[in-house]
Amino acid sequence: MNFDYTQIFDYALLLMMLAVGVAVIRLRNLFAVVMLTGVYSLLSAAWFVSLDALDVGFTEAAVGAGISTVLLLAAMLLTARECAPVKPGRHWAALVVTVAAGLALFYALPDMPEYGAVESPANSGVGMDYMMRTADDIQIPNVVTAVLGSYRGFDTMGEVFVVFAAGVGVALLLTLTGGRRREEDE
Amino acid sequence: MAPHLILRVVAKLLIPLILVFGFYVHFHAKYAPGGAFQAGVILAAAVILYALIFGVDAAKKAVPPWAVRVAMAMGAFIFAAVGFVSIAMGANFLDYTPFHPNEALARGQYIGIVVVEIGVLMTVTAVIIAIFYAFAGRSPEITEEEW
Amino acid sequence: MAALILEIVIDVVSAALMLTGAGFVLAGAIGMLRLPDFYTRLHAAGVTDTLGAEMIVIGLMLQTGWSLDTVKLALLGLFVFLTSPTATHATANAAYKAGLKPVLTRFRPRGGDGEGGAS
Repeated sequence: MNFDYTQIFDYALLLMMLAVGVAVIRLRNLFAVVMLTGVYSLLSAAWFVSLDALDVGFTEAAVGAGISTVLLLAAMLLTARECAPVKPGRHWAALVVTVAAGLALFYALPDMPEYGAVESPANSGVGMDYMMRTADDIQIPNVVTAVLGSYRGFDTMGEVFVVFAAGVGVALLLTLTGGRRREEDE
Repeated sequence: MAPHLILRVVAKLLIPLILVFGFYVHFHAKYAPGGAFQAGVILAAAVILYALIFGVDAAKKAVPPWAVRVAMAMGAFIFAAVGFVSIAMGANFLDYTPFHPNEALARGQYIGIVVVEIGVLMTVTAVIIAIFYAFAGRSPEITEEEW
Repeated sequence: MAALILEIVIDVVSAALMLTGAGFVLAGAIGMLRLPDFYTRLHAAGVTDTLGAEMIVIGLMLQTGWSLDTVKLALLGLFVFLTSPTATHATANAAYKAGLKPVLTRFRPRGGDGEGGAS
């Protein structure tokens, strides 16, 4: 097995993500937690780029590290800065569930195809089919856009409606009265 | 000296660049990673930066909340309307083939994707701005001194 | 022959720039860990990070030659050049307005890890 030295970056990024994740769990200062969430997103974006998943990394950097940090900060301003201390010993069930799920994932790990393997399902089955067909069907160089926009346009429409529903939900919960409310505040 | 002079100057330099970059990401998605979702987030980030530096009220003057609400619904409407138009033209829902007679070059697909992506861009940008407005409108106002 | 020499020169210069930039980033990271208070740490993170990132970007620009990537890297450098000092300024300004006083006494390493000198 030839060792790919760029994998060192992947493992380093994963270790950093693990450290940040543990820090997020342990910290009680919400401001630090929000900032570390942004750091976590940025690290995972770098990891996606390192795995050649540019589109996912781009989205993660824009949405996860950028916007959701800002939104979490804005939401944090509405609540207390410090989280209430948690009683220890309460979370044994959670620990058991987490450990069991982690063990199950590790048990499933050997069945995963090797990174970038030619015969993996992503590279051989439907995925390769769309890679071949896009040049004729859609004639757009970027296959991701072709798949998102045309082949699974219905799914993308569902995503847009989910985003729309989220916007409507926040608008209903927080600014139900629309413009009138702000004038009263002033 | 105006408060946050440096921030204001740099923000004035950066916001147009961010907007241009957002549109670049949107319209260059034919060739490069990107697309309407990311572009919408970037465009919204420009507005949010404006709101952070110049105040939420100034941002609400530049991008009024009613326009945000309209754009939010219009984007989703455009996407669904494209689907119904393709039904009316005799194809399946969201099948863009009949939009242009030149099927050999798949121009119909091209037109369909462009229109649909504009809808996505409108909804995503508007929703993120709306969520930011909703949170920022309720936050306790940070005075100039507290910064 | 001249083209080959030019290529070697460009390689050497860009490698030197990138290594120096990486050194600045490393110095910034060490400064973040070792310096005593908020403002000095911000100094380490902000100033050296701007310079380090800029030098790495310029080194990469030399490597790409004349192409669209060069322009993109130049824009990236412009963004970093504008945003990094501004972010440092905003952070320092916010800390000062919030009443955080800089440490003005002589720096002593905290007990236990006194292996390094003050400088």
